[in-house]
Amino acid sequence: AIQSSRFSCVGFPLAYIFLACKKKSMALKLKSSDNKIFEVEELVAVQSETIKSLVEDGCANNVIPLPNVDSKTLELVLDWCKNHVDVKLDEEKLKEYEDKFIEVDLAVLYDLLMAANYLNIKDLLNRASQKVADMLKGKKPEQIRETFNIVNDFSPEEEEEIRKENLWAFEE
Amino acid sequence: MRRMDNRGDFIQRLGLDVSINILNLLDDPSDLVRACAVSRSWSQFVIENSLCKQLCLKLFPELSSVTHVIEVDNLIEPVKVCAGGSPVWERLKRDNRVYAFFARGLTPLIKKDCIIEPISASSTDNYPDESIRNTLEPLDKIGFIASYWSSKGESDPNIPEILTYKLVAQLCVVTEIQVQPFQAYFQYGFPIYSSKAVRFRLGYSRHPLELDNVIREDMLIHHRWSDDDFIWMYTSPEFPVAQENELQKFKLPEAVLCVGGILQVELLGRVQKQEMDGLYYICVSHVQVVGRPLSSPFDIDMLDSSGKCTLKYNPKTQCCQSSTQLPEGEADTPSRLRALTSRLLQLLGNGPVGNNELDEEPPVL
Repeated sequence: AIQSSRFSCVGFPLAYIFLACKKKSMALKLKSSDNKIFEVEELVAVQSETIKSLVEDGCANNVIPLPNVDSKTLELVLDWCKNHVDVKLDEEKLKEYEDKFIEVDLAVLYDLLMAANYLNIKDLLNRASQKVADMLKGKKPEQIRETFNIVNDFSPEEEEEIRKENLWAFEE
Repeated sequence: MRRMDNRGDFIQRLGLDVSINILNLLDDPSDLVRACAVSRSWSQFVIENSLCKQLCLKLFPELSSVTHVIEVDNLIEPVKVCAGGSPVWERLKRDNRVYAFFARGLTPLIKKDCIIEPISASSTDNYPDESIRNTLEPLDKIGFIASYWSSKGESDPNIPEILTYKLVAQLCVVTEIQVQPFQAYFQYGFPIYSSKAVRFRLGYSRHPLELDNVIREDMLIHHRWSDDDFIWMYTSPEFPVAQENELQKFKLPEAVLCVGGILQVELLGRVQKQEMDGLYYICVSHVQVVGRPLSSPFDIDMLDSSGKCTLKYNPKTQCCQSSTQLPEGEADTPSRLRALTSRLLQLLGNGPVGNNELDEEPPVL
């Protein structure tokens, strides 16, 4: 009994120091597909579930390569992460930030979606998906084709059939 | 091939998971159906991943218990497999269509008054004072007049009674049925003429039920119907009925898709004798059905007596119904009204339009 209590006395402060160090966390190094290195605070980077599990598995000591994300996109993603570290941030301000953040052209939006999916950042993935969904809402097929540059490969008869079968969805 | 610019087809670029995630954010079935009309690959994507079904079940979770009626029983928009066609694909296409139609056509709020009219009672003691009609009225008296249906008296307490009703729509998802036994507050001892138990059947009529008023009245007076007139696709378990004057709620074990819109309430067993004649009676003051009917102009057409049906959408019906004051025979009136309305809206939105344009009849879908 005496021994074990001595152990716990010694053990406790050691663990405490260890945790404190970990909490402070040195910067992690992320490498984009075009070989740019980003130094990021761990708290920012672990918004990505993918990076978080690398850190937890102790695989984050060196540079973490992210071969699916280019530097331009990574910069944006990290900006999003920085703004979402502090959960106590004013909700209204956060929404303002997100709305402004997501006002990008379609190509960038796609890159963000791919990166958010790969890095597994849920809130970014949802926000960007919502942005695309909003571009579909209330739109006619012709408008959707125009927005997303899609070629209409239906024959006029097929198109008419779809319209006829679901007349209710095509009314003004 | 045309070089892709910076935009592009996200379903091709973003892959399965992200694309499904995006399309699942659409909460209006019209948006999903229009997405199907964008291109072959989009149509295939929506249909193969059952996105309309997912949306329909998200909107109406209780429908998860009726999916077999659509997908397995092949009753709604039955798939005819033609030579060369893929049966699996045809079924997926059909499911997509049916779920989209339901997602849009079923009433968004659960309704408590899904009965539109009585069809018949197995017996009526005094017609019309004790007609089944009275059971549509929630109160058990109106002014000083009692409102209830009463069976004829029987000396055998085991003889059942049957009430048959037509629902507001030919297609209805039924979740609960409520029955209030009648308490004869004007008799000595205030007896409650409940039944021992109750059981429900849902189904359709073998013949089209477009009854004129004379036949309808005749059916109510003479109880001229037989069990052969209806085909029951669902029979509930028996529920015990309390001998209490209150609206008793019988929740079906799971939601039931009633195709055909006919409900039968079987009142099983008698408990209350009338002192005056020593006979057993059953009396009911109110029946109501809780569920989600299709709302106009969404409807179905029964195909034959096998219970199969097709989906029907008829926007003109809605116009006609909303203007019931108009005499029949003026079938074109709604379209004229509609055209006029849209012109008026145009006038408001876009400034003056030439007068002669008001006389034009734009084609109506």
